Amino acid sequence: MKEPSAKSLERMEKFVKIFCEKSGTSTSPQEGVTDAVIQGLAANIDELKKPLCPCRFYPDKQEEVKHRTWICACDDMQIYKYCHCLLFVSPEGLPITEYLPPDHEGRKTYGLVKDPTPDKGRPLRHKGAEREKERRERPS
Amino acid sequence: MPENIIVLDEANFDQETSKEMPIVVDFWATWCAPCRLIAPHLEALAKEYEGRVRVGKVDVDQNGSIATRFQIRSIPTLLVFKDGQTVDQLIGMVPKDSIQELIDKHVS
Repeated sequence: MKEPSAKSLERMEKFVKIFCEKSGTSTSPQEGVTDAVIQGLAANIDELKKPLCPCRFYPDKQEEVKHRTWICACDDMQIYKYCHCLLFVSPEGLPITEYLPPDHEGRKTYGLVKDPTPDKGRPLRHKGAEREKERRERPS
Repeated sequence: MPENIIVLDEANFDQETSKEMPIVVDFWATWCAPCRLIAPHLEALAKEYEGRVRVGKVDVDQNGSIATRFQIRSIPTLLVFKDGQTVDQLIGMVPKDSIQELIDKHVS
């Protein structure tokens, strides 16, 4: 995959710092995790003009960016505070799963991970039902 | 790529997954952090289970048709194949023990 530009990297680094503060999340304590995801997001900005999540496969990336579902910060983050890509996590480095529906793959993989800052984040929390409808009707 | 990991692509995928010995296939991408975190577990297990289970990797950015065929969305996704059939799966940054449990279900 092509190395991202310095401009896009800088944009994503700033975004991650601000979003962590706003959402009450942390970056991963595990070395290399945050850098890898930021590079993937920046590469997608260069290719698609949008920071599409690099931890998913899209049969058609151009088509996918027409939806906002997986543009960082993605719908799962804005609704459930869950980041599969491990960019916005608990101080221990785990994705927050507390608000996910019980049958969500995140709950199956990580079990229950409580939100350490429930007073922050989830600006689209009222859109859970809409998100689950989309997950069923447009798996992406 | 370590020598005990089979790099899978459109040319060899069907051949490698149709063998009797099970193969755990890791669908991954370069900038996917959880994919990087499970990679050492897969390499260790490939050594521990040598001769009983094989481990392969599909880079989804390079092999979109394979990822599309198996409806891969979230990565990493691990699929277990035996005799050309998908027999099990795991999604996400799972611990080594979970991958080992997955493998143990399919080795004799």
